[in-house]
Amino acid sequence: MKTRLAAALLLCLSLAPVFAQETGFAVRPTEIRKEPYSDAAILSALPEKAQVRVLARQGAWMQIESGAPPGTIAGWVRMLSIRMGVEQAGGDSGVQQLFNIARTGSSGTTVATGVRGLDKEQIQNAQPNPSELRKLATFAASQADAEQFAAGNPQLKPQPLDYFPAAPAASQR
Amino acid sequence: MKPTARLPAFVAGLGLCAACATAQAQFNFDFNKLLDTAKSLGKAGQAVVKAHQDVGEEEEADIGKDYASLLLGAAPLVRDPDVQRYVNRVGRWVSLHSERPGLNWQFGVLDSDNVNAFSTPGGYVLITKGLLARLKSEAELAGVLAHETAHVVRKHQLNAMRKSATAQAGTDLMSDLATQQGQRYQAAKERLVGGMKEVMLRGLDKGDEFEADRMGVVIAARSGYDPYGLPAVLQMLQHMNPQDSSLALMFATHPDPGARLDALESVAGTRLDPFAAQPEAAERFASQMRSK
Repeated sequence: MKTRLAAALLLCLSLAPVFAQETGFAVRPTEIRKEPYSDAAILSALPEKAQVRVLARQGAWMQIESGAPPGTIAGWVRMLSIRMGVEQAGGDSGVQQLFNIARTGSSGTTVATGVRGLDKEQIQNAQPNPSELRKLATFAASQADAEQFAAGNPQLKPQPLDYFPAAPAASQR
Repeated sequence: MKPTARLPAFVAGLGLCAACATAQAQFNFDFNKLLDTAKSLGKAGQAVVKAHQDVGEEEEADIGKDYASLLLGAAPLVRDPDVQRYVNRVGRWVSLHSERPGLNWQFGVLDSDNVNAFSTPGGYVLITKGLLARLKSEAELAGVLAHETAHVVRKHQLNAMRKSATAQAGTDLMSDLATQQGQRYQAAKERLVGGMKEVMLRGLDKGDEFEADRMGVVIAARSGYDPYGLPAVLQMLQHMNPQDSSLALMFATHPDPGARLDALESVAGTRLDPFAAQPEAAERFASQMRSK
C-alpha cells in the first residue's frame, strides 16, 4: 500500500512536476504549439503581454492555458518567451511567515529569534566557523564518486558544447 | 642581438644601483618585515596584501577557505549528511565539466531560510536550505551550482575583492599591517575580513552575474542535464514576492531575474534546444529531498 502510494506520488511528480496555478505573460508574440517541439503543429498565436496560466515545463517548453473563459487557448510555448508574474499577496511564502513570526515584537531589525539566516546583519556580524569548515570537507565527493553517481539512473552523459559569446549590446533587450 | 651588445648597458645599470644602494637596503628591510607580517597573518592574508598581483591557486584556496568559514559563521550546515553528500555529487559532477575540474571543490547546504547561493575562490559552493527547498529537479540544482561554478572558474569573487581591497584600504592596509601589533594592526586584520564581507553584501559586478548565467547553462548542458534548469529557477525567483524578506540579500546582490532571463535568451536563442531532452532528474531529486 505504502509502495503504491509512493509510486503514485512519483508518477504525479513526473507528469506535472511544476508550476501548478502559476501565472505569467508573454514578452513577445509567441506561437502556441500542440506539443513541446519546434516542429509540432501550431495551434494559435499568443499576443504580446497575454496572460497565461503555466501548467508544466518540459525542456525549453512550457504548457500554458490562456484566453477567456480560462482554458480557451491551450498548448506549449517556448519557456523563454514567458516571464512570471509576482505571486499574489495571499500566496505569501511559508518562509516569509516564519520570518514574520520570528520578528514579532522586534523593532524590525534582524535580531533573529530562532531563525537562522543570511541577512545583511548576520553576515556583518559573522565570525569564522572553522569547525563547520572541517565538517564541510567531510562531505566532499571525489571525481570517482561523481562519475559513479552520473552513471546511475537517470544517466548523465557528458556533451561537448562551447560557451556562447556575450550578445552585442545592440541585440540585448 | 649579440650578448656583448648588452654588457655596457648592464654595467651602467650597476652604477646607477650603487648610487641608490642605501635606499634599496632600506626598502628591502621594510619589504621583508612586511612579508613576515603577511606570513604571520596566514596565506590568505598574504594573498590579500598583494591583492594587486595575480593570486596563485594555493592562495586562492586559502582566501576561499576563510571566506567559506565566514559564511558558515553566519549560517551553519544543515544537519543532514545524505543531503550534503547528494549536493556534493551533483556539484562535483558539474564542476568536472568546467575549465577548472581539478580544484578541491566542496559543496554545502546552509541552514538558512534565505533564498541564495554563494561561491568563494578555490571552489567552495554553498546553497541555502531556503533555495534548495524551492527547487523542483536535479537539473535546477545543477543549474544553480553551475552558475556558482562559473563564478569560481572566472575568479569573479577574487576580482571583486581586489577592487574592494584597493578601494577601501590600498597602501594604508599594508603599512598598518607592518605595525605587526596594536590597534592599527588589529584594525587592518579586521579590514581583510571586512573586504570579504563587503563582497558578500555588495555582490559581484552585474556583468559577472550575466556571464555566470550564460556559462552556467552551458556547463549544465555539458554535464548531461536539461540546461533549462537555471532559467526555470530564475522564473521561480521572478514569481516570488520581491518583498519577501528571504530574498532581500539575493535581490540586492543580483540583477533582476527578468533581466537575467532576457540576457540569457538573447545569447542562447535556440542553441540549447538540442540538449533540452537531457534528464531533469526530478524523481531522483524528489526522493533525496523526501528523505529529509
